[in-house]
Amino acid sequence: MRAGEASRTRVNARFAILAMAPAWIFLAVLIGYPLVTVLVDAFTHSHLINRTVSGFAGIANFEKVISDAHFLPAVGNTIVWTVGSVVGEFVIGLAAAVLLNRRVRGQGFFRVATFIPWLVPIVVAGMTWEWMLNPDFGIINSILTKTGLVAEPINFLGDKSWAMATVIFVNIWRSFPYYTISFLAAMQAIPAELHEAASLDGAGAWRRFWSVTMPQLRSVALIIVFIHLIWTAVNFDFIWVMTQGGPNYATITLPILIYRYSLQQYDVGAASALSTLMLVVTSLIFVVYYRVRRRLSDEIVG
Amino acid sequence: MSTATRRIAGKSLTYLLLVALCLYTLFPFVWMLISALKPKDEIRARTPSFFIHSPTLENFVQVLVQHDFLTYIRNSLIVSIAACALSLAISLLAGYAFSRNYRMKAVQGTSLAMLVSQMIPGVLLLVPLYITMRNLGLLDTYGSLILAYTTFVIPLSTFMLSSAYDSIPLSLEEAAEIDGAGRMRTLTSVVIPVMVPSIVSVGLYSFITAWNEFMFGYIFISTDSMRTITPAIMLFKGANSVDWGGLMAGSVIAVLPVALIFLFLQKYFISGLMSGAVKG
Repeated sequence: MRAGEASRTRVNARFAILAMAPAWIFLAVLIGYPLVTVLVDAFTHSHLINRTVSGFAGIANFEKVISDAHFLPAVGNTIVWTVGSVVGEFVIGLAAAVLLNRRVRGQGFFRVATFIPWLVPIVVAGMTWEWMLNPDFGIINSILTKTGLVAEPINFLGDKSWAMATVIFVNIWRSFPYYTISFLAAMQAIPAELHEAASLDGAGAWRRFWSVTMPQLRSVALIIVFIHLIWTAVNFDFIWVMTQGGPNYATITLPILIYRYSLQQYDVGAASALSTLMLVVTSLIFVVYYRVRRRLSDEIVG
Repeated sequence: MSTATRRIAGKSLTYLLLVALCLYTLFPFVWMLISALKPKDEIRARTPSFFIHSPTLENFVQVLVQHDFLTYIRNSLIVSIAACALSLAISLLAGYAFSRNYRMKAVQGTSLAMLVSQMIPGVLLLVPLYITMRNLGLLDTYGSLILAYTTFVIPLSTFMLSSAYDSIPLSLEEAAEIDGAGRMRTLTSVVIPVMVPSIVSVGLYSFITAWNEFMFGYIFISTDSMRTITPAIMLFKGANSVDWGGLMAGSVIAVLPVALIFLFLQKYFISGLMSGAVKG
C-alpha cells in the first residue's frame, strides 16, 4: 500500500512536469530568451541589419539614450500620459460601477453597454475618435461650434497643446470598463448586512459609500491601479495609432522612442538600453506594489 | 412625503446618469456606423448630420473588394483561431498541474514565473522578439503572430483554467482511473467535458486578444497579403487620409466579430472576467 502510494505520487509528479512543459517552452523561447537578450544587448554595439556592428559597449548605449534630446520630454510625457489616464479611468470606472450597482430596470443592458469600449481594437477606438474630433468634418467640433462653446473648431490631435489631453481622453474611454467590472465584482461581494447596519446607524448614501464600500474596494483598487500604471506606461498602440508621437513630438513617449531606435534607426543597442531602463522602473513599481499590498493585508487581517 | 420625493429624484438622477454613461460609451459606435453608410459627399459635409439622405454600401464594397479587407479578415481569423486553440491546449495542460499538484515546488516556481512574465510588456521585448522571429524564419508568416499571441495569453489562461479545475472534485478522476483510464484519457474524456463554460470564456479572451492586437501584427508582417486587420486599418488611413467613410466601414468590419461573440456569449464572458478580475 505504501509503495503504491509513493509510486502514485511519482506518476503524478511526472505527469505534472509533462503537462507544464509546453508552457515552459513558450515562455522560455518567447519571453525568457528575449528578456536576457535585451539585458545583454543593452551593453553591446548591435545593429538590426548590419551584423558587422558588434562588441562590448559598456554604458555607451545608456549615454546615447539619456543624452538624446527627446529623452527627457519623453519621460515627462510618459508620466503625464500614465498618471492622467489612470486617474481618469479610476474616477470614471468607479463612478460607473456605483451607478451600475444600483437596482434599476435595464441593469443588464446598462452593464453590457458600459463594457463594450473595452472590447474594440485600440486602432478602431483611435480612428473613430480621430474622425469624430476631426477639425473640418468631425461631429464634435460641429456640436461645439454650433452651441457656441468654442468660436473656432479645435484641431484636437494636430494642436500641440491639445494632442496629449486628447489621446488620454481616448485611452480613458477604451480602458475604464475594466475598472468598472472589477469594482462591480468587488461591490457585489460586500455583504448586504454591512450596508443595512450602517443605514440603521443613520448613515446616508454618501457616508455609506465612504465608510462601507470604499474600504472593501481597497485591495481590488490597488491591483488594478498598479497593473494599469505599468500597462499604460508601456502602451505603444494608442499614441502610435493617433499621433505617432506628434505633432512636433508633443506626445512622444518612451515606447515610441524604443520603436524609433529599433525599427527606424536600427540601433538595437540603444533600443535595448532604453528597454532595460524601463524594465528597472517597472520592477521598482512592482516592489512598491508588494510593500503597499503587504501593509494593506496586515491592516485587513488585523 | 419628502422622503418619497427624494427617492424619486434619486432614481431619476440614477437613470439620467446611466443614460449619459451609455451615450459616452456607445455614441462612437453609432457615429461609426452612420459614417460608414454615408456617401462621400455627405461625409465631407460642413455640418455633419445624423440623418443619412442616401444610405449606401459603397464604402463597404470598396474596402472589402478594392482594398482587400477580405484578405485581412481571413488572415486575422486564421491567426486568432490558431492562437486561441494552441493557447487553450497549452493552458489546459498547465492549469491541470497548477490545480492538482499545487504543492510541488516546480508548480509554484512555474506559477511565479508566469506571474512575472505577465508583467513584462511586449514592447520592451520588441527588438529581440523581432530578431528571434527573423532567425526562426517566421517574419511575414502567420507563425510569428500565432506564437507571439499564444505566449502572451498563456499566463492568464492558465490561472483562469486552474481555478476552473479547482472546482471539479477529485473523485470524478479517481472513478475514471479505477476503470483503468490513463491520466491523459481521464483528462480529455472526463474532466475537460465538464469545464466547457470556463473553456469557452478563456478561449474568447484569447481570441479577442489576438484579434485586437496591433503592435506585433504591425511589426512582424510587411507583406500585404499576410497582413491582419488592425494594422491594415492604420495603413489604410495613412494611404487614404481623406477617406473617412472607408475607414469607418473598415472599423465596423473589425468590430463585428468581437461584437457578435460578445452579444451571444456575454454571460460566459462577463462572469469569466469577473472571476479573473477579482483574483487579479
